[in-house]
Formats: sequence, structure tokens, C-alpha cells
Amino acid sequence: MGKLAGKKILLLGERDGVPGPAMEACLKDSGAEVVFSVTECFV
Amino acid sequence: MATVGIKGYAYCLNHAPETGLRYGNTPHVERETKGETEFLKELPSFLQSYEEAKDYAPNQAYIGGMPIEKLEEIPQPWYGNRLTGSGRYGSYGEIMPEDEFIGLMDICDVFDIIWLEKGFAASVRKKLSESPVMNGSVLSRLEEGHDLSEIENETAHRKALPLFHGGKTVGCVRNGHDVDDCLFAYVLLENLASKAGGLLSLLHLLKNTGMAPEEIDFVVECSEEAAGDMNQRGGGNFAKAIAEIAGCVNASGFDVRSFCAGPVNGMIAAASQVACGARKNCAVVAGGAVPKLFMNGRDHVKKKMPALEDCLGGFAVLLVPDDGTLPVMRLDVLGKHSVGAGSSPQAVTSALILDPLERAGLTFLDVDKYAAEMHINEITLPAGAGDVPLANIKMTAALAVTKKAIEKADMMTFVKERGVPGIAHTQGHIPSGVPFIGHACDALKEGRMKRAMIIGKGSLFLARLTNLADGASFLLEPPSGARGGASTVSKDDIKSLLLEVLAELSGKLQ
Repeated sequence: MGKLAGKKILLLGERDGVPGPAMEACLKDSGAEVVFSVTECFV
Repeated sequence: MATVGIKGYAYCLNHAPETGLRYGNTPHVERETKGETEFLKELPSFLQSYEEAKDYAPNQAYIGGMPIEKLEEIPQPWYGNRLTGSGRYGSYGEIMPEDEFIGLMDICDVFDIIWLEKGFAASVRKKLSESPVMNGSVLSRLEEGHDLSEIENETAHRKALPLFHGGKTVGCVRNGHDVDDCLFAYVLLENLASKAGGLLSLLHLLKNTGMAPEEIDFVVECSEEAAGDMNQRGGGNFAKAIAEIAGCVNASGFDVRSFCAGPVNGMIAAASQVACGARKNCAVVAGGAVPKLFMNGRDHVKKKMPALEDCLGGFAVLLVPDDGTLPVMRLDVLGKHSVGAGSSPQAVTSALILDPLERAGLTFLDVDKYAAEMHINEITLPAGAGDVPLANIKMTAALAVTKKAIEKADMMTFVKERGVPGIAHTQGHIPSGVPFIGHACDALKEGRMKRAMIIGKGSLFLARLTNLADGASFLLEPPSGARGGASTVSKDDIKSLLLEVLAELSGKLQ
């Protein structure tokens, strides 16, 4: 648990950068609640 | 090793600013939802003329009007350092003006969807008749045209969409059905434009390879459009429809879809058929996407720079059995982004680049160039989407450092030496690695390169069916200089192999 514990998180991912599911995986044990996660394609 | 030869390639652009102003998705949705906003009023003053588009260096690199290496010598912004007096035609294809492209859409229309004004049709017929790739059979499909009043009646009362050139209505796209929204005019415009772009590249491919249309055995089409009706909205088949207009009477075909990964998957689908002997040859073809015209136009206008997304892209590649004289595509070590591979940048890069290299017994330094997502960076940077080809090669370099293939200090050297600049418009599937096939094959033939990797990535999650992305890759190598390929093992080879095995067996029995 770190400083994100108890926080609500919005994730905006990008296909050629870091996608949403990858960020979700990183935050899995952070104690944060991912309330929205999406991957967008800007090209 | 399974390989197929790359006999030829074609790359074309269709300059389509007035089509984009009305039907590019960003301006179209803005107009439909908000009316004539400031952005829509300002956008026309940021358009490039045809001459300017022709002199835009990445466009010339795309059609083979200049070597890709030369592009890197021209200071950016390229729109501020234009070439002078560039040709319409490059060694791979052409930049076609918009009036001729509207004519080409009519040539591709077999259901009387496109109507052209009589005078415009006559003018376009004359221009297209001077094209080095048009023949009488293709040109005879162009209609005589209609009175302007008939066209205005269609647009005013029958939901047809007007087509413009020089600020005037020169034709229209009619609805294909009264209630089926898969056959409404906007969808048919998209599809006919993609078909026309694919046709133009296929015609250039025939010219570049010296092949007669009748010699084409199979066509694989790999754009991002959906052809169908309300009962089967993605039924297809662009490939066969394009082959028909080009006069490829002995060809059949099918479509491959995977968003921007479509072309690389299409190349693999086509090459596999050629390598196993199922097809004598396969042409892989795609036209462009009308909705992507001026996709980032809002940011270009905000930055007071030219709205660069004014061209539809297209390409065609001809795959044939490997006879030892042609650059080859390897099929034994394909990159595949599997369902379980993971979505992190490291996982994707490992699946598409590291895995095939390891299976081939190669290291990162055995590949001279990595081509992925070749978007022109001047289009994407002002919109906050970054320099996409640079981001991709940086990730490859980072993985090479992680795997101890290079030192961290050499990372940027790797990026500079082994990346390729973006030369493609933001046309989705078009930039996805394939624009480099032509330049790579030239270099492989001339001994300037020993290996290149073509990488395609697609955003499957946009269709709301899965959160996954897709990806695929393949290696290009020089001509082997001898008869190669998977199916060319001789009888003598088999005899000597059997004798060897029998000798070994008899030795063990003693």
C-alpha cells in the first residue's frame, strides 16, 4: 500500500504509449480504485 | 526456410482536400453536431494546394519520388521547407489530383451511386486518358455525366452528398438504399473512395511489375472499411471488386481486417498462400480512409499551420514464389501479438520483435531497419500524439538494452541508425510498417541493406469487442541468389537425406 491507497483513479492509456490494461496491472496492489480505464488510439 | 519473393510495389496518394473538408470525420461530426463553427470557417484557409502537397517532402518519399534517406537531410518543418517542382509521379506511384480521383470513384461505381456533372466528367476523362496506368477498358467505365440540375435535385431531395471541386458542386454520391444505413451515401463514399485508392495502386503495381491484369491469381485487400448491408455489415469483398475494375479476370480475392495491423496480417495471409503453392501470386492491396482526412485538423488550425491531412493513402505489393532473384519475406519467424502476450509496451515489443529474432537466431543488431507506425510526425506532434515512429524505435532500443544486446549509452545511436522516419499520412492502416517495404526492397536489391523488419499494430479496442490490441511483424531479406523457398527441395536432396538416415540406422543395428 502506498500513497495511492484509497484513491479513485481514472486511467487514460494510449496504444503506442502505455495502454490502460498495463496501467491497471501496475496499480493492482496499490490500494487505489480504478474507476475508469480506457485505451485510445490517436493515429 | 519458407520465403516468398517481392516482385514489385506501388504507393499512391489521392489529394482530396475538398472531400476532406466535408466528409473527414472531424469536420463532418463538427458540422453535424455544432453547425458552422469557427474551426470549420477557418479550416479552408489552412488547406494545401495540389502543388504544395506535391512539393511536401514526405509525400514524395511515399510515392518513391525521392529516397527516404534524403528526407532526413531536409530540415523540419517540411511544410516550411518544401521541395520545388516535384513530379506527380514517383518510381512507386503518384499523387493524383482531386478531380481525377472523383472520376476514379465513378469508374469504380457499378451501381450508379456516383453522378458527375457532364462538363466535369468530360474534363476528367481527358485528364485520366493521359495517365500512364489507365487503359481503355478502365476509362470506358467513366459515365457521360448528368445535368447539374439533376445532381442538385438528388442532394436537395434524395439525401445524396455533394462532391466538390474548385468550390463548386461537380457531382454527388447517392444513397444505395432508403432505410439501410450500411448503404447510405456517406458509407458508400467511404467504400468507393477506398476501392478507387486500392485500384490506383493496383494499376501502378501492374505497370511497375510488367504484369498483365490477367496474370494476377489472387488479391488480398487490407483496408479498414466495411462493405456490406444491414444483414451483414462487414461482408466484403473489396479485393474482388478492385480486381474486377483492374481487369484481373483470372483473380479471386478476400479481405483481411485487423485495424492498422491489417496490412501486415494481409501480407502474411497472401505470402502463406504463395509459399505453399496454393496461389501463383498474390497482390496485397489497400486504399485510403476518407474519415481520417483532417482528423487532427483542429490542432493544425489552432497552431496556424497547414492542415496536412489532405491525402488518402494507398499501396499494393505483389508476392510471387521465391526464385532467388527477388527480395524475400520470411515466413518462418513471424511476430505475433498473442491474446496472452500482455499489453505493456515491453510485452508488445517482445512479442513483435524480440521473439521472432530469437527464433531466427538473430540479435537486435542483425536488423538494419525497424519500420513501425510510419506516421508523419509533423501531423501528430501538434495534436499531442507524439512522434509515433520515434516512440516505437525508442521502445525497441530500450528492449535491446534490457536484453543486453546494446549498451545503454548506445541507445540513441541505435534509434538514429535503425529507425525510419514517418512518411505516411494518418490513414490508419496505411502507415503501419508497409510504406517501408518499397524503400527496403530497393536497398536489399542494391546491397545497401541486409535485413529489415516490418511491424504492424492495430487498435482492436476501438470496436468495443475486446480490450486487446493486435500486432504482427515479418522480416525482409535480400535475394538468396539461388532457388529457395519451402517447396523447392529436389529429388536428389531427398535421396541423399534418406541414404544418410539409412546409413545411420544400419550403423546402429550392427
